[in-house]
Amino acid sequence: MLMQLTLSGASQGAIYALVALSLTVVYRSTTVVNFGHGDLVMSGAFVAYVLVVGLGLAFLPAAVIAVVAMFGLGVCFSRGLIRPIRGGPHIGFALMSIALGYTLRGIARTVWGREVLPMPRVFDIEPIFLGDVVLTGDALFTIATVAVLLGLFFAMLTFTDIGKMVQAVYQSERGARLVGINVSRFHDLSWGTGAALGAVGGILIAPVSFLHPDLGASFLIKGFAAMTLGGFGSLGGAVLGGVVLGLAEQYAGAYIDTALIDITAYLLIILVLLVRPRGLFGRKAVVKV
Amino acid sequence: MSISPATLRLRTALFWAVPVLACALPLATNPYTQFVLNSMLISTLLTLGFNMVIGSLGQLAFANVAFFGLGAYASVIAMNDLGLPWLATIPLSGLVGAAGGFLASAVALRGIRLYYLAIVTLAFGELLRWLYIHADRLTGGTDGLAIPREGFLGFRLGDDTAQFYVFLAVTVVLVKGTLNLLRSRLGRSIVAVRENEIATASLGIPTARVIVTAFMWSGFLVGVAGALFAAHIGRVFPESFGLTQLIVGFAMVLVGGTGSVLGSVLGAVLLTALPEYVRAFPGMEEIFFGLVVIVVLLCLPQGLASLLRRLSPVFLERHFRE
Repeated sequence: MLMQLTLSGASQGAIYALVALSLTVVYRSTTVVNFGHGDLVMSGAFVAYVLVVGLGLAFLPAAVIAVVAMFGLGVCFSRGLIRPIRGGPHIGFALMSIALGYTLRGIARTVWGREVLPMPRVFDIEPIFLGDVVLTGDALFTIATVAVLLGLFFAMLTFTDIGKMVQAVYQSERGARLVGINVSRFHDLSWGTGAALGAVGGILIAPVSFLHPDLGASFLIKGFAAMTLGGFGSLGGAVLGGVVLGLAEQYAGAYIDTALIDITAYLLIILVLLVRPRGLFGRKAVVKV
Repeated sequence: MSISPATLRLRTALFWAVPVLACALPLATNPYTQFVLNSMLISTLLTLGFNMVIGSLGQLAFANVAFFGLGAYASVIAMNDLGLPWLATIPLSGLVGAAGGFLASAVALRGIRLYYLAIVTLAFGELLRWLYIHADRLTGGTDGLAIPREGFLGFRLGDDTAQFYVFLAVTVVLVKGTLNLLRSRLGRSIVAVRENEIATASLGIPTARVIVTAFMWSGFLVGVAGALFAAHIGRVFPESFGLTQLIVGFAMVLVGGTGSVLGSVLGAVLLTALPEYVRAFPGMEEIFFGLVVIVVLLCLPQGLASLLRRLSPVFLERHFRE
């Protein structure tokens, strides 16, 4: 029982980790919290769905095309909608991202109506039984994909100049500009990367759950909960927070009450922010006047 | 720039002319347009409440939808279980909303600001909606609660025209109250906190008290809107207080103009009237409000009120008595 819960928690958590990480990528490099992020996740899954079910593409090429498309959308969004209001107050960014999210959600609803769409399963292999524990192909595939992606992502940050660039822009945009970093382009690419990573999360969840336009809203809150747990803005913390959230949901659902699965994320957000606002692993934020 | 006494008189006349003329409106409405008119008044209060926190205080709090729901449920539960007449539940719902606002401000005062505040209030709103669904003994679950049919002092709840006059009176009082609040010392302090909280504190203004008041007034307005909404629809559901309400509220604030009372009224009236045409298709409403917010942020960040201000000093809203 515990092992089974841990496995399903880890596979859910892997997706939350991905969503939280993609939110953090945008937040760290642009200081904007993207409230439309959940809808980018949802859109990625929908694009993949259309390619697989509508055009008959295989899953993998469809997934790649969807991720690239979402990267493009992220870049366009940054360039077309965020850059023009860069000088304004922060509330403007939040409202802009909310508006984008609702627009995407509305488009999805206009096209698909109130249906929930089942995505064909990717790994329809026989489940593997290890004692009492059932390993499904989807869970293994999800965990493996996320692990590989995270490995690549953190290797890129540690071993290439991109990591230094990220740190430089995070510490001081002006300083980064002075040493010759094209900050505007960096912002665009960060939005693209965030959207693409989020889309991967959406595509991974699509075969396991159903697709519907409101999928994004729930992912947004889960992503926030994971970020909050891990300390807002910490990349590693976001991943850890995602896994913790996935496990917490499963345990709370099994051992206390199934209705709790839906609200674990809300409760965690409220608890953590009230008791320990910097998150479980975060450092104290310095507020500049 | 000082405003001439003639302009001031014109402004007062204009302010009172609107509700007086509005009194005649039910003569020219059919049941459908009367329903839309009533919705406009509720939207006005909602937007006024939203604008208080987002525009005047400059804080990102998403709990207003939750307070709206609290007010609506409080009104219906007070009618059903305590047997209160609807009119008496209006101030009660306002107080419940204000209590919610107090909670939100307590969170804000813990140093949880901007994005954190947005996220925690978002979580709070969703948590409440979950409660509406699961606390079915009190709230009726997903089916919602119906309001009782009996009238009070000859006032039938189902009558849209009678409702209209009550709604109008409540709205006028609260709009005037908000205007006066913003023109007072307290209103100046609220705007000063938005501009620079530390500088405001250094002038000896108790910023904590200012923030609490702004949140509570916002919660009060939205709570009252909830009580009106319950009577207007005749039934409260958890779904009415979902996330779609959020973008609607933001759109109304932005179109009208952040931090402007005139803007709140304009935004609410315009955006309640327009989307009646798009409501038939699922998803169109979300696209409409989403695009409206995007366009306003890009092209007219100060909203319609700023255009009117440029047109004539009559529309100036200043934070002192003139």
